[in-house]
Amino acid sequence: MKRILVVMAVFMVGLLILPVSVRADEKQAAISDNCGTIKENLKKVQKQDARTRVYLGGYYEKILSKFMIPLNVRLVENNLANAKLTENQNNFADAKILFMNDYVDYQQGLEELVMMDCKNESESFYKKLMKVREEREVVNRDVATMRKIISEHMKLVKELKGKL
Amino acid sequence: MEKMDEVQEQKEKKYTKGGWNLLVLGIIAIVIATATTGVSLMIYHNSGDIYLDRSRPGFLPDEEEIEEEEVKEEEYNFSKTGKMSAEVVNEYLKNLEEEVKAIDDYEKPFEKEALSDEHLGIPIESESSAEEEE
Repeated sequence: MKRILVVMAVFMVGLLILPVSVRADEKQAAISDNCGTIKENLKKVQKQDARTRVYLGGYYEKILSKFMIPLNVRLVENNLANAKLTENQNNFADAKILFMNDYVDYQQGLEELVMMDCKNESESFYKKLMKVREEREVVNRDVATMRKIISEHMKLVKELKGKL
Repeated sequence: MEKMDEVQEQKEKKYTKGGWNLLVLGIIAIVIATATTGVSLMIYHNSGDIYLDRSRPGFLPDEEEIEEEEVKEEEYNFSKTGKMSAEVVNEYLKNLEEEVKAIDDYEKPFEKEALSDEHLGIPIESESSAEEEE
């Protein structure tokens, strides 16, 4: 009886594992078959991301150097220095650096992915793709953080306006 | 006749020696130039600057993508000096909001869908086959 139960348990576990491994094999086969298309699409993503970085980076730099910093300097000159605004400016500058660094890490990963042989190394290719997705998510979060800091800055400036 | 042969021989020797030196010098110069260019490209790539360099192809729009730009008014510059007043802050906020709007108008920067299986062309397992397996 015990033996039967053990055999049944092993059989059940096997039934659970098999579909997963079959699915993984199917995915790898799919990657191998569509390697060319996948690489072309990755290159399009690379190109689009580069433009996004330039676009956003330009605005972030403008907001920092032409809005936040001059405002804080002028406030100091008028004896209206605001610690929260200064702290916010520093947070924004730090977040901008973090965004750049995370973007570089992400792009390096993406480039390595594009260079990989997805036809013959589909398993490692997919693992690398998962990692690059995580890195992209980090960059996405950095963008959200910067937007949040900008909103905070605008809120503080509106409060300042009320006091003038 | 013998003298002429000697002179000719000497001329050839000098030419050969000088030419050889020039060739060696040229090769050394090329090797050094190649090595330094290779090292600087390696540094450029490994430091990550290659991904931030706006002058790279792909960072600028292609010819067919260039639209005629509208003539912009003079760019707003918030001065570091001067008095502070509610009007000054109002104008500051108005211009800042325009910049922020430009950021918000940019469609889904770095959203995850771009690297999804569907977007990349990796065939997705159909729902019916998933149900069959269950």
